[in-house]
Amino acid sequence: MALPALLLMVIFFILPVAALLLRSVTEPEPGLQNYRELFATSTYTRIFLNTFLVAGITTVVTLVIAYPVAWLLAVLPGRKAMIIFAIILLSMWTNLLARTYAWMVLLQRTGVINKTLMHWGLISEPLPLVNNLTGIIIGMVYIMLPFIILPLHSAIRSIDPAILQAASLCGAGRWQSFRRVLLPLSASGAAAGALMVFVMSLGYFVTPALLGGANNMMLAGMIAQLIQSLLNWGLGGAAAFILLVVTLGLYGLQIRLFGNALAGGR
Amino acid sequence: MLLTYDRMGGLKVVLWVIAVAVCIFLLVPIIFIIALSFGSSKWLAFPPPAWTLRWYQDLATDPRWLTAAFTSLKIGLLVTICSVLLGVTASLAVIRGRFPGRQFLRGLFLTPMVLPVVVFAVATYLLFLRVGLGGTLIGFVIAHTVLAFPFAFITISTSLESFDKSIEDAAVLCGAPPIVAFLKITVPSIRLGLLSAALFSFLISWDEVVVAIFMASPELQTLPVLIWAALRQELSPTIAAASSILVLITLVLMMIIAALRRRLAE
Repeated sequence: MALPALLLMVIFFILPVAALLLRSVTEPEPGLQNYRELFATSTYTRIFLNTFLVAGITTVVTLVIAYPVAWLLAVLPGRKAMIIFAIILLSMWTNLLARTYAWMVLLQRTGVINKTLMHWGLISEPLPLVNNLTGIIIGMVYIMLPFIILPLHSAIRSIDPAILQAASLCGAGRWQSFRRVLLPLSASGAAAGALMVFVMSLGYFVTPALLGGANNMMLAGMIAQLIQSLLNWGLGGAAAFILLVVTLGLYGLQIRLFGNALAGGR
Repeated sequence: MLLTYDRMGGLKVVLWVIAVAVCIFLLVPIIFIIALSFGSSKWLAFPPPAWTLRWYQDLATDPRWLTAAFTSLKIGLLVTICSVLLGVTASLAVIRGRFPGRQFLRGLFLTPMVLPVVVFAVATYLLFLRVGLGGTLIGFVIAHTVLAFPFAFITISTSLESFDKSIEDAAVLCGAPPIVAFLKITVPSIRLGLLSAALFSFLISWDEVVVAIFMASPELQTLPVLIWAALRQELSPTIAAASSILVLITLVLMMIIAALRRRLAE
């Protein structure tokens, strides 16, 4: 019964990915020269660094913003929490291009945000908010927030409130109970969510391509360009292999550390 | 008392302020797009000088947008059928089968969810280029089915797991042929799972952009491909109208899924 699905996966998933990876060591000639080129060319190494930088900043910003929201959701009774959940899910499932387009318009030089800030006299020149790192980070944080709020919420929810009451009875102040009880108890949930966001950010294509500038290319954009525009399939395959190894390696780490919690990403 | 809502005091206010800010952050782009699509300004001035339906008329009379919408719909429906059928057979095998390697199969079926889409997209692009499936309807359907199938598999296998097989066995013992017992007993019992699998599959194909960019040919373009191409040229209000339609469809499908979930929970 599993045969049709297995055939689909083998022929149209494993086979093409394996063939792509094989090209990285066979084209233009057998050997590891593609990998050597990737690591020896400063253009490529800069893209690697930039990818990790963007994914890192996105993860930290998302985590800091998401924590209070997840915390509130975990303690909030019924109906109000449902509304916040509905907003999170709506944003998560709204078409990616539609959301990115909105940010392109909102953030542009003549966009609403710049105009409002200038109107209030907070700035005299439009801020460069798009086609640069700022644009990418805003767009990525926007997309990743739901993916971290949801697991973090269930992590905080599973903490027994009695433990915090005990801390308070023992004389711990708010700050102390937060830092020494709540934070450590929710740390593994936060780490699991953060790791997932980091991995998903590493391979993101659409948002960096539309909100970033020429200097902010990330690994996914580089793979696309090498394969589709430059027709350098060997080098593209090598870059894809690196992304694949890092992604699957980090997911493997996640499963080992925190159990199996898969979530989708585009 | 950090996890008892009624005894959080001032902290409650802080969390609420952040949560409301995040909700606004999540909602603004979606509302903004819809407002923009009714604005009369060609240069996307906001708030618009007047309201109009012009951009929707442009969409409805432009054969390119209509053809693309029809293509997306056709691909989405075919993907839904394939992905649900594969999901049912694969779930039956993995949940009910008694063969070694079931856990491995389950893991394999979920990998498309964690692999960076761009890697799958370029791999498929190269394979389809070689076998002549690039830019064809069937190529689109196959590639999108690979992406949608994991979601169908998870949803269907979860509902199949919670269905008591002995009821189906009872029907067989009473003389029903196994296939009839399956269709008349099991399928109606897991119909909500099947329906949400179908809706998710459709939504994934309908919204998918990365694979579509690589797969599209001038003759065969889906709606997201057309939006993507338009976005790279200029930010016109027509894109806002097209995006709003995508948002509306997502909203409707999400509400159906939420209603199904609620019925499933009861």
